[in-house]
Amino acid sequence: MTDENSRETSGQEPFDEAEYRRRQRSRANLMAWMLGALAILFFFITIAKMQIFA
Amino acid sequence: MAQSLTHGETALPADWRDLFALTKPRVMSLVVFTALCGLLAAPGAVHPVLAFSSILAIALGAGASGALNQWYEAGLDAKMKRTAGRPLPAGRLDRQTALQFGVGLAAFSLFLMLFASNWQATLLLLVSILFYVFVYTMWLKPRTPQNIVIGGAAGAFPPLIGWVAATGSVAPLPVLLFLLIFLWTPPHFWALALFVRSDYAAAGIPMMPVVAGEKSTRRQILFYAVIMAIGAIAPWPLGYTGALYGWTAVLLSAVFVLLSIRVGTRTTGDGDRMQPEKRLFAYSIAYLFILFGAVVADHWWPL
Repeated sequence: MTDENSRETSGQEPFDEAEYRRRQRSRANLMAWMLGALAILFFFITIAKMQIFA
Repeated sequence: MAQSLTHGETALPADWRDLFALTKPRVMSLVVFTALCGLLAAPGAVHPVLAFSSILAIALGAGASGALNQWYEAGLDAKMKRTAGRPLPAGRLDRQTALQFGVGLAAFSLFLMLFASNWQATLLLLVSILFYVFVYTMWLKPRTPQNIVIGGAAGAFPPLIGWVAATGSVAPLPVLLFLLIFLWTPPHFWALALFVRSDYAAAGIPMMPVVAGEKSTRRQILFYAVIMAIGAIAPWPLGYTGALYGWTAVLLSAVFVLLSIRVGTRTTGDGDRMQPEKRLFAYSIAYLFILFGAVVADHWWPL
């Protein structure tokens, strides 16, 4: 009995590597965009505070 | 971020859409709007970047509260039709991921608020998150039918936080806005609880219709609607708002009370489609949106 067959008979779904990579990629992309947006936001917060306290 | 959803022996990373769904985006929209109104109705000008960052911090704090609520209630959510499709009960996420996401988001929201605004607003944001998670979700909700009444305070914080983020201090108007949401919560949630009563009963949550029965719940909806209407109109005669807000509050609250009278005085039989209750629930959401919009309009363009 192959490994895949044994999983199916034990009620577990077979591992979908394409789905794994797709989720990994979409989360990595999202994280990159969010970190970029935060860097920009923190830069502008600093500038705004400098203007207020100048 | 942690891994989730085991397929065989390998774990799939959680889909970002499921993490987003944990934050209860629809609830967050009302939180963001009321917080923004609190901030815009405050005296003085706030730098737009700092205003945006403060509102973002409040939104993230609300999202974190929602995620921690879903983490704690995953078992209950699985028993209710309305919530069974959420990422945790549906098995698309594991609880550990939800907990880490919620705690991380809460910590980040507090850091952002402290960086962009002041410690007073940060403290209020912390209190609102802790209140929602520990007092409402863990303590009140599974124990007492008054869960919504006391727990309503958690949802009432955003306009107060918005105001304090702008001014650094508390004033009577944001306290009245806090009170308005606090009094609005029982009729809003009990209208919903009336038409999903079987769901709450199945999950063993002691919501008012499950514990006290339909008749008592209907009476209390009407009672709270009247008190809420008084609370909504109060800022006008007290001199904290002008006629634009005042007349808007009078008209909208009158409709709210009329819809509540319809709900409060009727009895239902088997197979009732609960249309008046659904109408009151839908109207209550629009009511809060328009009323808070009127607070801002009254501040910027007084009659």
